[in-house]
Amino acid sequence: MRGAVIPITMVPGDSPLHKIAPLPKLAWSFGVLIIAFMTRNPAILGTIILAGLLLTTIAQIWKPMLRVMIVLFPVFVISIFLQSIAPAFPKPWNPIVGFGPFTIYQEGIYSGITMFGRAFGMTLFAMVTIMTTHPSDLFASLEKIGMPYVLNFILTVTLQLIPILQREFGTVLSAQKSRGMKGTGFGAVLPSMVPVFVGAIERVQQLSISLESRAFGSTGNKTSYRNVVMRPSDYIILVSGLLATFATGYWILVDKSLDWSRSMTFSPTLSISLVVSAGLIFTSFVTIAIFKIIKT
Amino acid sequence: MSEALIVCENLTHIYDGEVVAVQDINLTIQKGELIGVIGQNGSGKTTLVKHFNGLLKPTKGKVFVNGNDTAGMRIQELAKSVGYVFQNPNHQLFAKTVREELEFGPTNLGVPEDEVKERVNKAFKFFNLEKYRESHPYRISFPLRKLVGMASIYTMRPDVFILDEPTTGQDHITTRIVYQLIERLRNEGATVICVAHDMILLAEVVERMIVMRDSQIIADTDPRTVFSDKDLMASTHLTPPQITELSYRMRDNKQIKNLALSINGLLEETSKNFNLKRSK
Repeated sequence: MRGAVIPITMVPGDSPLHKIAPLPKLAWSFGVLIIAFMTRNPAILGTIILAGLLLTTIAQIWKPMLRVMIVLFPVFVISIFLQSIAPAFPKPWNPIVGFGPFTIYQEGIYSGITMFGRAFGMTLFAMVTIMTTHPSDLFASLEKIGMPYVLNFILTVTLQLIPILQREFGTVLSAQKSRGMKGTGFGAVLPSMVPVFVGAIERVQQLSISLESRAFGSTGNKTSYRNVVMRPSDYIILVSGLLATFATGYWILVDKSLDWSRSMTFSPTLSISLVVSAGLIFTSFVTIAIFKIIKT
Repeated sequence: MSEALIVCENLTHIYDGEVVAVQDINLTIQKGELIGVIGQNGSGKTTLVKHFNGLLKPTKGKVFVNGNDTAGMRIQELAKSVGYVFQNPNHQLFAKTVREELEFGPTNLGVPEDEVKERVNKAFKFFNLEKYRESHPYRISFPLRKLVGMASIYTMRPDVFILDEPTTGQDHITTRIVYQLIERLRNEGATVICVAHDMILLAEVVERMIVMRDSQIIADTDPRTVFSDKDLMASTHLTPPQITELSYRMRDNKQIKNLALSINGLLEETSKNFNLKRSK
């Protein structure tokens, strides 16, 4: 189970990115999210990806980032494969090559590449934010901008429960394997999930009792153990993030020449190799994952 | 003639390439032995026993069960010969009735139906759980649930039973029942390995004690020798049973000759002494 846990948590460090307050980082991540959905321009999406990789380098989080991307990258890549055959794009579609019932379209490749770029770029920024921000700081900041305490608390507790449940699932799985259970297929679901769910419900019941006995839900002002201070530099980063989002968004809306969907053409060789490698990456990922599950 | 059931050769386990949990362990466990493994939390006891049924594979060294190297074997294969009873029974109970829970293990091993039935019936008698045959496992009390956990391994008829903290969370009566069960298991020819903090269990039931500290075995001998070694006990931060503490003092006061590990043992010692005095 140990190896299967994806480290979507803070990676302790001392980089400039770790020192920035949570809000500016959140603003940039949301900005990127908005821009990525506003445009299909490969150059803008490419710039976002490059910036994301640069930030990963600055934050010195390549190792955990790779562990996350090993799982997510094949999922993103499959959009190139699927889109090339069935583009999510207004017709007419220009065919490039065809194999029997399958035809690869210009618009499909374009659409696939941009979808891949969107997902990859957004995830990079979101991961950099998550990996360089202490969760408590993040929630303390959210509370400052008006997020209700209870909602905030629900989120924090849920996030804390995930690793606990992952560990619990590991223990249950070893207990059942010790009883000779075959670790695959539908037959494995019931014996492993029942104890995990029963345990989770019991744990939550106990948690709620212990919370109430410690005055959770009392009225009045609450103090926070971690105090997040916004420095002048944080304000500058925050404002520049908002400005950059607005400016780029405005540019995308106004400049129609940014739509390259009709002008960009892909040669048959390039398209085939793109589609085939996307398919290969995804299938090999699925095969490796299945083998790993069978082996354990 | 005893035969080696589990053999560890220079067993080392390192978690995540950093944390050394057990280091350079050499150990042989014979058929029919009743063994206690003790040590502080984090001393490596659980890591060590998890190698016996393949839940963990050695980082370095080898572990043999019945002469087979565990490195190439799956837990499901090893489950035939090594049964592991987890500390918390809630981690394994999922069926609607206790009976189905007991059937799960042997059916996984491919035991024929009529034999499964026979084994389950025997387990109900052995663990005295007949009343709860059709009860929901989560509806019975925790101590009984723990017995169900043990019974569900018993039906798999392994050569070795590994019991992780079998008496934790048990009341006085079920603790006594567990002691008796362990002895009966051994009388049926099984090898029993208890990872435990329960010093009375170790003093009264177990015959060989493996003491662990800082990922290594620091003593491997009978309970009497372990409990009489005050420095050894202190170094593991474990205290012997109160009756043994009392007998330390009585021995120091020359009231008895030998250390006693149980109430009966101390009674015997004191009466010996009494007879000795009377005969003078």
